[in-house]
Amino acid sequence: MASNNLSQLLPSELIDRCIGSKIRVIMKGDKELVGVLKGFDVYVNMVLEDVTEFEITAEGSRVTKLDQILLNGNNIAILVPGGAPEDVE
Amino acid sequence: LQSGRKETVLDLAKFVDKGVQVKLTGGGQVTGTLKVYDQLLNLVLDGAVESVRDHDDPLKTSDQTRVHGLIVCRGTAVMLVSPTDGTEEIANPFVQPEAVKEQHYCLDKF
Repeated sequence: MASNNLSQLLPSELIDRCIGSKIRVIMKGDKELVGVLKGFDVYVNMVLEDVTEFEITAEGSRVTKLDQILLNGNNIAILVPGGAPEDVE
Repeated sequence: LQSGRKETVLDLAKFVDKGVQVKLTGGGQVTGTLKVYDQLLNLVLDGAVESVRDHDDPLKTSDQTRVHGLIVCRGTAVMLVSPTDGTEEIANPFVQPEAVKEQHYCLDKF
C-alpha cells in the first residue's frame, strides 16, 4: 500500500480516499459542483450528497441541491478533494 | 506501420515531479506538478493552478487564476500535456506590422 502521502496515490485511489469528504467537481464547461462524495464507479460517475452547484460565467450563481445526485462522469474534467471554494485572484 | 501495443506516444514518466501544463476539452487549462498518472491519462497534479477563462469570451483566458492544490485531471478530458520548463510566452507572430504590404506566397516547384 502506498505510503500516506496523498500525492503518491493513483488517481482512482485518490478519489477513493475522498469518499465521505467534501469534493469539488469541475466540469468541462462552466459548471462546478461541491458535495460529499458517497461513491463512484469505473467511469467516474459519482454519487454526491448535499450538493451546491455553481455556474462560473455568471460570477457564481448558485443552485443548492439536497439529498443525493448521480453525476454523469462524461463531462467531468477536474476533481478537487476538500472542495473549499478558492478565491479568484 | 502501426504499433499494436496499447501505449501512449508520450511517456509521462519523464514529467513526474516536473511542472506541466494540461489543456482540457472544453477550454480549461491547468498547470501543476505532475505526481501520478495512469494508462487512461488520468493525472494527479500537485499545486494546481487553474487559468480562468474570460467571462465574455470563453476562448480567451483572463489573467485570473484559481489555486486548487492537489487535484485529479480526468483522462477523458485531457487534450494536451506539455512541460512548463522550456515553454515561454512570445510576441504574437501572426500580427502584421502596418508597413507590410500584401504578400504573395508561391509554391516552389519540386
